[in-house]
Amino acid sequence: MSATEPAGPALEDASNPQDGVQTRKQLTKAERRELQERQRAAKAAATASNPSNKSQNQKTPQSQSNKQPKKDPTSVAGPSGSSATATSGKKPTPKPGRDADKIAPGAGGMDKGDKIADLETQRRHQTRIFAHFASPKQDAQIGAGIKGEIHPTIVRLGRQFADMKIVGANARCIAMLVAFKAVIQDYVTPPNQTLARDLTQYLSPQISYLVSARPMAVSMGNAIRELKYHISVVSIDVPEQDAKDHLCEQIDTYISHRIVLADSVIEEYAMPKIQNGAVIMTFARSSVVERVLISAWSRGKRFSVKVVDSAPLSEGRKMLSALLKAGIPCTYLLVNGIGSLISTVSLVFLGAHAINSNGSVYSRAGTALVAMLAKEHSVPVLVLSETYKYSNNLQLDSFTKNELAALSDTLQPPNGQGHLLSQSSLQIINPLYDLTPHTHITVLVTEVGLIPPSAISTLAGLRDKDKGLQLAV
Amino acid sequence: MPEIKDKGILRQVETLTSKLRRRQLAGAQESAIETTLLIKYIVAHAKFATIHELIAIIKAAGRRLVEAQPKEHTVGNVVRRILRLIREEWAASVNKPVDEGDQPMTTEDSQTETGEMSTQSSPRSSTLSVGEQTPLMTPATPRPVVSDSQYSLSNFVLHGRPHREATDFASVYAATIQESSTTPKKSAQSIRPALISAIEEVMDELETVFETVSSSAKDHIHSDEIVLTLGMSRTVEAFLKKAALDRKFTALVAEAAPSFSGHQLAQSLASSGINTILIPDSAVYAVMSRVNKVILGAHAILANGGVYAVAGSILAAHAAQTHRTPVVFCAGQFKLSPLWNVYHTYGSLDFANPAHILGFQEGKLMDQVDVLNPAYDYVPPELINVFITNDGDIPPASMNRLVKETYDNEDYQL
Repeated sequence: MSATEPAGPALEDASNPQDGVQTRKQLTKAERRELQERQRAAKAAATASNPSNKSQNQKTPQSQSNKQPKKDPTSVAGPSGSSATATSGKKPTPKPGRDADKIAPGAGGMDKGDKIADLETQRRHQTRIFAHFASPKQDAQIGAGIKGEIHPTIVRLGRQFADMKIVGANARCIAMLVAFKAVIQDYVTPPNQTLARDLTQYLSPQISYLVSARPMAVSMGNAIRELKYHISVVSIDVPEQDAKDHLCEQIDTYISHRIVLADSVIEEYAMPKIQNGAVIMTFARSSVVERVLISAWSRGKRFSVKVVDSAPLSEGRKMLSALLKAGIPCTYLLVNGIGSLISTVSLVFLGAHAINSNGSVYSRAGTALVAMLAKEHSVPVLVLSETYKYSNNLQLDSFTKNELAALSDTLQPPNGQGHLLSQSSLQIINPLYDLTPHTHITVLVTEVGLIPPSAISTLAGLRDKDKGLQLAV
Repeated sequence: MPEIKDKGILRQVETLTSKLRRRQLAGAQESAIETTLLIKYIVAHAKFATIHELIAIIKAAGRRLVEAQPKEHTVGNVVRRILRLIREEWAASVNKPVDEGDQPMTTEDSQTETGEMSTQSSPRSSTLSVGEQTPLMTPATPRPVVSDSQYSLSNFVLHGRPHREATDFASVYAATIQESSTTPKKSAQSIRPALISAIEEVMDELETVFETVSSSAKDHIHSDEIVLTLGMSRTVEAFLKKAALDRKFTALVAEAAPSFSGHQLAQSLASSGINTILIPDSAVYAVMSRVNKVILGAHAILANGGVYAVAGSILAAHAAQTHRTPVVFCAGQFKLSPLWNVYHTYGSLDFANPAHILGFQEGKLMDQVDVLNPAYDYVPPELINVFITNDGDIPPASMNRLVKETYDNEDYQL
C-alpha cells in the first residue's frame, strides 16, 4: 500500500512510519482500498502544493475511518479555494467564511488539528525565525523512526505529554520517573550482558520516544542523568532483581529529596516573605507557588492573591481553583491587564521550568512580562525553584530554545468567528516558554537558601558529600 | 441647557448623547465624525446675535456629549477644535478691514487657571500663533505694536508672566465691535458660511485620517523588518498596508485577549499579502529580541505626551525599552486631548465585560472570584519614541505645544 505511493512532499511520507509502528496486519483490505480511493480523489482535485491534500493523506484509517466519509466531500471542494490563496498572495480576500464552513465544526478536534498542523508546516517556511522551534506533534509523528521496543507505559506517557495532559516541569519529571520504574521492573537482562551496561541502552529509545512527543524538560534531563549514573555503578555481582529494586529505590529517593522535600524547604524559606495583608501576584500555575500559598494560608497568614493567566494553556485556572478551594481571596485577570493593578501588588511569586547558569529563568511564556513590570514598579519578584532544575545552558534570549503549543486547542476566537487559517500569509505561533533575564528577578528561593540571581552558578559548585556527586550538573 | 433654545438642535444633541451613552456609537473616528456633523448642524441652524452666543451653544452641547461618554475623548477634542476655528474665523473676519498699526494686537494671554484635571499648572502659556491675528486685548494696559509673524523677546518678557486679571470674553468682543465701529458692522451671522467650510475641512481631515497617517509609511518600515503590534487599530492597519505596497516585511500581531481584536488585524493584513504571525499576548517578551519596531495604536493622546492605548500596550512598551526597540504610536491628531493623567494608579479608564475572561459557564469559580478586564493602559511618554500623525511625526515632548496650538485654554474645561 505505502510502497505504491509516489515519493511526494515530506508530509505524505509521514503516513509511512505510522504504518510501520502499528503493524501492517491492522490495515484490512477494505481500509487499504479506502486509503487508495482517498488519495486518488485528493490528487485529482488539487495541485501538489495544496495543504488540504496532505491532511487527507496524513490521516490513518484506524483512527479516522469513521470520519472519512464526511471529510471527503468537504475537502474536495475546499482545496480549490485554499489553493487559490496559496498560489497568489495578492488575490483579494478569499472569503474566510467559506473555508471556515468547510472545516466543519462537527468533524472533530483531531481532524481540525491535523489540518491545522499541515497548513502550519506549509507556511512555516515563510518566516523562518521560528523554524527551529519544536512544534507540536501529531499522532503519526510520535515515535517516528525510533527503533526498538517501547514499553506501553512510555507510549501512554508520550501520548499524555503530546496532548498536554501532563504539564509542568515537576509533574513531567515525576511521571517520567514513575514510568521508568515500571520499565526497569519489566526489564530482563539479555544473556551475556550486564545490567549496568545494557539497561542504559535499553532506556535510550524510551527516552527518545518521550522526546519525540515533547522536547525534554531540563528537570527530566537532570533526573535521567542521575539515573544513568546510578545504573552505571550497579555492581556486577548484585542479582538482577536486587539491582532493579535498588534502582527503583534510588528513583524514589530522588523524587522525595530533590522534589518533594525540596518543596517543603522552599516553603519554609518563602513563608516569612508573606506578610499579613500582602497582595501577591502570581502567573499561570506553578506547583511550588501553589503549595506555598496554600500552606501559608493554612498557617493563619491572611493575604490576597492576583492570579494572572494567559493563552495558550490557561493554566491559571487550575491555580485559581486550587487557591479558592483553600479559601484564599483571589482576583483573576489576563496578562494584558496587569498594567492597571501592578501598583497595588506587594509581592510577586513565580515558578520556573529551568534556571540557567547566569541566573536567567526559563519559564512559562508571560513570566518575563510579569517580572519586568513588577521590577519597574519596585515590587519584589521571587522565583521559587528546586535546585534540580538548574541547567548549565546559557541562553541569551527566548529564541535559542523554545517550544510551540499545538494550535487546535489555543487561540479560540470568541463567538465562533470563522477559523483563521484560510490565509496562506498567516501563521499562528504559540511559544510556550520565555526567558526572564536575571535583572528582572529579586531573589531565587531554592531549598539550599535564598540566592541572588546573579550568583546562581554557585549551585553548580555544590557537592553532595555522601555521594561525592555534584548536586546539580 | 439654558443656552440651547432651539428644539431641533436640542433633539439632535439628545440623539447623539444617548448613542454615546449606550455605546451604540463607539470608536474614536466615528465619534469624532458624528460630533463634527452635530456641530455643523448647530452652526448652520442656530440663531445667535454674537459669536459669543454661538460659542456658548456649542460649548453647552459639547459638555453634554462629554458627560455622556467621558471615555471617548475625541468627542471633546473635536468640539474644542471647532471652537478654536470659530474664534479664528471670527477674528480673521473682524480684523480684515483694519490692518494698520493702530489696532494693538497682542499674543494670546493665558486665562485664569481652569480645573485641576484639564490643564497643567503652567505659569507661562503664551501661545505664539504665527501668522494669526487675535483680537483679544485687556483694555487697561497699553501694549506695543507687535508684528504677528515675529517673535520679540521684549514681548515675551512683558507678557510672559501669569495674568491675574480675568479677561471677560464678552467685554472683549464688545470692545472689538465698538472699536471697529468705523468699519461696516460685521454681524456674527455673516461668517456662518466660512464656519461651515472650516468645519467641513475638519470633516475631511477626519475622514481621510487613515490615508494621511500612512502617507509616510514606507519611510518608517524597511525591508525584512519585523514589526510588532497589539490588537486592532485601523490606523495601524492602514499604515502597515501602505508600507506593504513598497516593502516586504513581517508583522507580528499579538492577539489582545480577551477581545481578540488582534485576530481581525492579522486576518486583514494576511489578506493583503503581508507575512503575518499571530502570537498570544504572553509571547510579547519572548519575541521582542527579534522585533525591530513596535507600532501601536492609541485611544487618546494626552497633553503630556502619554497615551491611553489598548490593554497590554504598557507591557509591549516596557519590553521594547528593555531591548532598546523603538516604540511608535500611529494616531490621528483628533485624538490629541488636553487632558492629563493625574491618577496613574488605575491606569485603565475603562473596564470591559469580565465574563469574557471568566464567564458564567465557570459558575462555581466565577462566584468567588474578582475578575478584572481592563480595557486600556496608560503608557507614559518616556516609553514612546514618536507619534506618527496625519500632520507629521511628532516626539512626545512636543505634544504640549501642539495642544496649545490646537485648542484654546478656555475650552479645556467645556
